[in-house]
Amino acid sequence: MNRSWRRRTTDGSQLTLRGIGLGYIGLFVALPIIALGARAFAGGLPRLWENLTQPEALFSLRLTVIMAGAMILINVVMGTLTAWFLVRHRFPLRGLMNALIDLPFAIPTNVTGLMLVVLYGPQSSIGSFLSAGGVEVIYAKPGIVLALLFVTFPFVVRAVQPVLLELDRDVEEAASTLGAGRLAVFRKVILPSLLPAILTGAALSFSRALGEFGSVVMVAGNIPLRTQVAPVFVYGEIESDNPEGALGVSVVLLVGSLVVLILLNLLQRLGRRQDE
Amino acid sequence: MKQPRRAGRSLFSGTGLFWAPLLALAIVGCGGKEEQRGAPATDKLVLGAYTVPKEAYEKEIIPAFQRLWFERTGRKVVFEQSYEASGAQARAVVEGFEADVVALSLEGDVDKITDAGLITHDWKDGPSRGIITRSVVVIGFRPGNPKNIRSWEDITGPDVDVLYPNPKTSGGAMWCVNAIYGAGLKMSEAATGRADSAQARELLMGVQRRVKVMDKSGRESVTTFERGIGDAIVTYENEALLRRLQGREFPFVVPEATILIENPAAMVDRNVEKHGVRELAGAFVEFLHSDEAQRAFARYGFRPVSPAVMLEFAEKYPTPPMVFDISYLGGWTSVREALYGPDGVWTKVTQELATEER
Repeated sequence: MNRSWRRRTTDGSQLTLRGIGLGYIGLFVALPIIALGARAFAGGLPRLWENLTQPEALFSLRLTVIMAGAMILINVVMGTLTAWFLVRHRFPLRGLMNALIDLPFAIPTNVTGLMLVVLYGPQSSIGSFLSAGGVEVIYAKPGIVLALLFVTFPFVVRAVQPVLLELDRDVEEAASTLGAGRLAVFRKVILPSLLPAILTGAALSFSRALGEFGSVVMVAGNIPLRTQVAPVFVYGEIESDNPEGALGVSVVLLVGSLVVLILLNLLQRLGRRQDE
Repeated sequence: MKQPRRAGRSLFSGTGLFWAPLLALAIVGCGGKEEQRGAPATDKLVLGAYTVPKEAYEKEIIPAFQRLWFERTGRKVVFEQSYEASGAQARAVVEGFEADVVALSLEGDVDKITDAGLITHDWKDGPSRGIITRSVVVIGFRPGNPKNIRSWEDITGPDVDVLYPNPKTSGGAMWCVNAIYGAGLKMSEAATGRADSAQARELLMGVQRRVKVMDKSGRESVTTFERGIGDAIVTYENEALLRRLQGREFPFVVPEATILIENPAAMVDRNVEKHGVRELAGAFVEFLHSDEAQRAFARYGFRPVSPAVMLEFAEKYPTPPMVFDISYLGGWTSVREALYGPDGVWTKVTQELATEER
């Protein structure tokens, strides 16, 4: 009896569920993006191309990708280490540390920017110490990476953490009894199982970093062709009544994110197939 | 009895769940509507202004007008005030923000609203041509003037870090770049009798080379400067005077050649018709030109347009010997293209500077 009840409702409810899911994504994500795309191409392809190939636009895109790339390198290594540290080690205040991880998401991004300026700016003690050594952080590229690191901090940690928790310690022990060194165990046993999670975290951070505005605009200095990232360029184009210029760069950012996320999906599917 | 029950159930069924977020959005969207039910003897006026004169409006202009309107009609007037960057405010009005009166940083922003068909009367009609306040572009420096800054050339030196807002992100910031470029023209004209655009470009490049941070608005630029960054800031006289009014030290110099900033205000026909407040809005715009309002603006750091009030404040607002206005540069339409367009002077200068070693 239980069975027949379940089967009868599956068709109906599954259809509604699918409808809800698709409708939800469509209405709140796809529709605005389609509207953006349609507007971008409304002025014609040549106009879009012309706007996109301005030196300022190209530079800002390149800078954004390079800064996001630098952030990813740090985030992947340090995020994985942090997750490892939180899962495998007992230490006082571990609960508090764990709660701190998500905090960057709750802070308005311009507050993040302000905080970084106050902490590392030329007037701060850290900032003046660094600039005495010839290192400019705020109003220079390192500041951008710092801001991106902060706003994307939780992604890698939170992607890796659950996988680490689920990891079968027996396999590691078996490997080391069979004579594998600690490094070998990490490389051959742990890393392969963590890799999909690390990639997920990296891809999410990357996408987030491409669009980050609030914190970066405070710390970057925003000099065109020196320290102006793509979202700040986009903002400028909108403010100076050139929506086409803004839309062109936005579409590139969007497609960039999409490609990264699709690639990630493919990689994961490939990985799963190999497992089977 | 059955009706409400069915409604209740449908909210939890599939489609109901689907519409729930929309419903939530609708509720959020309706939040402000309650306020409209005020006492019958109350009028409402929606003011869309740029951020800089906020203090003057809030503390003096609006209370004074409220008193005046009450004396004249026995009715109270409440203001719904919105302060945004000038360009953003103009865009908001074009996109449907129902401001009855707009007060913006530059004429071009009012033109955007006119071009969208929302302003149908000739708002430049009248002795001051729609302008309600003036200011000049000045150079701020650190207390004691350690870098000895007196003129535009003094902020092109290798040991001076300069701040000014990005003219791409803030319409108002264009005043700063216009001032530098125009000053170059004026000074060459004074020296040789001919305005030399090459010299003007040289001056602009010299200052831009020293620019360290370009914030997205004039106000933010001043905040960054006050945080201790930079040796000099190119900003508006009214911003500097406002800081002084707030009791802070803000030394600045009015360069001999600088631009006269002119800020317009206008009634938005489409919206006053819709709200039925043409008379009220007209009275408010007229009040902005009155000596009482002009004095209030003058106290808050703006140069009055009323000649009588300007005389009263002559000591506070000395006229720079080589002052010029936007028409000296050919008007806004031409400036937008000649300075900020794809081949504009400022655009090209920043491109050239990017290839220089720093």
